[in-house]
Amino acid sequence: MDPEAAKLLGAGLAMGLGAIGPGIGLGLIGNAMLNGVARNPEAQGRMFTNMILMAGLTEAVAIYALVIAVLLIFVA
Amino acid sequence: MATKKKGCLGCSLPVAILVGGGALVFLVMGLLAGPLGRKFNVTGLPSWMTLELPEPKLPADVIFHIAGFGVTNTLIATWVTVVFLVLIAFLVARKPKLIPGRVQSIIESLLGYVYDLCVSTAGEKDGRKFFPLVATIFLFVLFNALLALIPGFGTLLFHSGEGNLEVLRAANTDFNTPLALALITFFTVEFMGFKRLGFGYVKKFVTWGDFGRAVGKIFKGKFDVMALLSGFIMGIVGILEFVSEVIRIISLTFRLFGNMLAGEIVLLVIAYVVPYFVPLVFYGLESFFAVIQALIFAALTIVYISLSVTGHEAAAEHH
Repeated sequence: MDPEAAKLLGAGLAMGLGAIGPGIGLGLIGNAMLNGVARNPEAQGRMFTNMILMAGLTEAVAIYALVIAVLLIFVA
Repeated sequence: MATKKKGCLGCSLPVAILVGGGALVFLVMGLLAGPLGRKFNVTGLPSWMTLELPEPKLPADVIFHIAGFGVTNTLIATWVTVVFLVLIAFLVARKPKLIPGRVQSIIESLLGYVYDLCVSTAGEKDGRKFFPLVATIFLFVLFNALLALIPGFGTLLFHSGEGNLEVLRAANTDFNTPLALALITFFTVEFMGFKRLGFGYVKKFVTWGDFGRAVGKIFKGKFDVMALLSGFIMGIVGILEFVSEVIRIISLTFRLFGNMLAGEIVLLVIAYVVPYFVPLVFYGLESFFAVIQALIFAALTIVYISLSVTGHEAAAEHH
């Protein structure tokens, strides 16, 4: 295989496979948030802040995959 | 709202139509000027209205040298951020008013939010003690990312032998700045834990005591497999604890670096795909991410510090 093609293929695979886990995680976070709000609508403000924080932490896992993909394309 | 508003979205109707129509015109023009419009070659747009495919650069460019050390564009952006923050602090703190003005109320609400975060995480005493570090990290990361969104920040060019180089570039899109911040956090966490708990802090990592006692029993003729095994597992747990402390550096670094770099690349690519109007939405998204990332970095710093200074027995309740 052409090394350039392998590089691009690897970058695409890294990003695509790496986005599966964070996608499931973000779904779980949204699920928990909606459950919480349905049970206790008054606490929505505090829950929303925490949800954003957790979403940022979860999303970071996808960002690691993105870093690997970017490294593969531009540096490797 | 009790009073019924006239017009649409707070504007009078003609203004709303004008703004909406303008946005629509820019959107269509953006679609035409992008690769889609160029592919079908429907319009003969002048060349200054279209953009070439951008080439994102990963390593920062060296602008000039001071005594052999290369000064990169991200370092210059760091200085700009620092000067900006010092000026803001000077403006606000020189004559603090009881009824804050615009700048003062922004800074006060930001710092108040971070202060509440610190106190609610680490308690009144430790929260006050570590608030300066956490607030510094928060303000630096936030304003560094926000300043980079100002138009003109990334388009200032420097002509040199290696072609045109950007003079300013958001500091956290260079790998080194987030690494420095993460190392500051790491060494503060370890130092404060050691200072507060003395050698008791090391006990968190060196947990071979049970294993040693079990081995000692073998020489006394009492061979206890379960004690040997559980002691060994405790020892491994100590090693894992140490590894997780070191891994924090990597995760803190890459979280910030990746988010900021991804933001820059997204803005570049979207400005290529649809040059007009649509990048506005992504600018909003990026300024939101700047706040989130600054908040996450600051929150993780105070959480790590409060975990390390409370000692192993108290911290074990959190897990």
